[in-house]
Amino acid sequence: MIAQLRVDDRLIHGQVALVWTKELDTPGIVVANDNAANNEMVQMTLKMATPTGKKLLIRSVDDAIKVFNNPKGKGMRMFALTNNVSDALKIAQNVSDIDGINVANVGRFADKSEGETHQVGSTLMLSDKELAALKELTKLDVPVFQQVVPSNPKSSIASMLKNK
Amino acid sequence: MNKILIASHGHLASGVQSSLEILTGMGNKVTVIDAYVDDHDYVPDIKKFIDELDGQTGIIFTDLFGGSVNQKVMLEVADHENVFVITGTNLPIVLSVVLEGEEITKAKLEELIAASQVQLVEEPKDDTDLSDDSFLE
Repeated sequence: MIAQLRVDDRLIHGQVALVWTKELDTPGIVVANDNAANNEMVQMTLKMATPTGKKLLIRSVDDAIKVFNNPKGKGMRMFALTNNVSDALKIAQNVSDIDGINVANVGRFADKSEGETHQVGSTLMLSDKELAALKELTKLDVPVFQQVVPSNPKSSIASMLKNK
Repeated sequence: MNKILIASHGHLASGVQSSLEILTGMGNKVTVIDAYVDDHDYVPDIKKFIDELDGQTGIIFTDLFGGSVNQKVMLEVADHENVFVITGTNLPIVLSVVLEGEEITKAKLEELIAASQVQLVEEPKDDTDLSDDSFLE
């Protein structure tokens, strides 16, 4: 089961990964990202960022969905990461066992040539496509919130999207 | 959260604060002293931080062991057993302490310091890719 699906454009990074895996008590981290699944250098950097004692799996989004739906993983608490909202939406639409979706940091390093970006809170810069995906995400039957670190309060994404 | 002061020669302290803000959004949770960037006497700022602890646990980070900032801090924390002083400060140790949810003890600090050392970066030796099955075991 996915204890938390986190959207973070930096995927796994430093102490933040350490704090979240501790907070969520997740022995396994799954990075669901097509680029990372095909790029050995990116895989190396993600391995370096993985806290000691945690298992890491790097898969394309489609292959990650198979892992999340594998009956063997039912009792295993997993911390899942994507680096964009569209990938998170695809996972949420195809996996039923998700405790919560944390849309933490998105789009600050994205290609600005893709047209207008929409600022939602201080750490979300969304393209039209990403904004539409985020709206879809809030319609699903799973809590969608923003919480950069565990000591921050959870902010509801639905309320952040009002008037957008 | 634990009360934290970072004091440095020059802008290291506010630089660490800037990194903290970007990584955790908690830059405003630490007090900083950038010493010697102007004529401002920073010793009263150290005193104020310690006074405002009002007996609670505080952690002061300095940049260099034996440096003048560290010396000034040591003079002020004398007789305050509720204040820990850490020197040779780097970003990992500040992050670890900022993100530590429980009240800091000496044993906890020693554990966090041991995990925050500068290190030579080498490619991970364990290059085995897990299969789905071995991951889910």
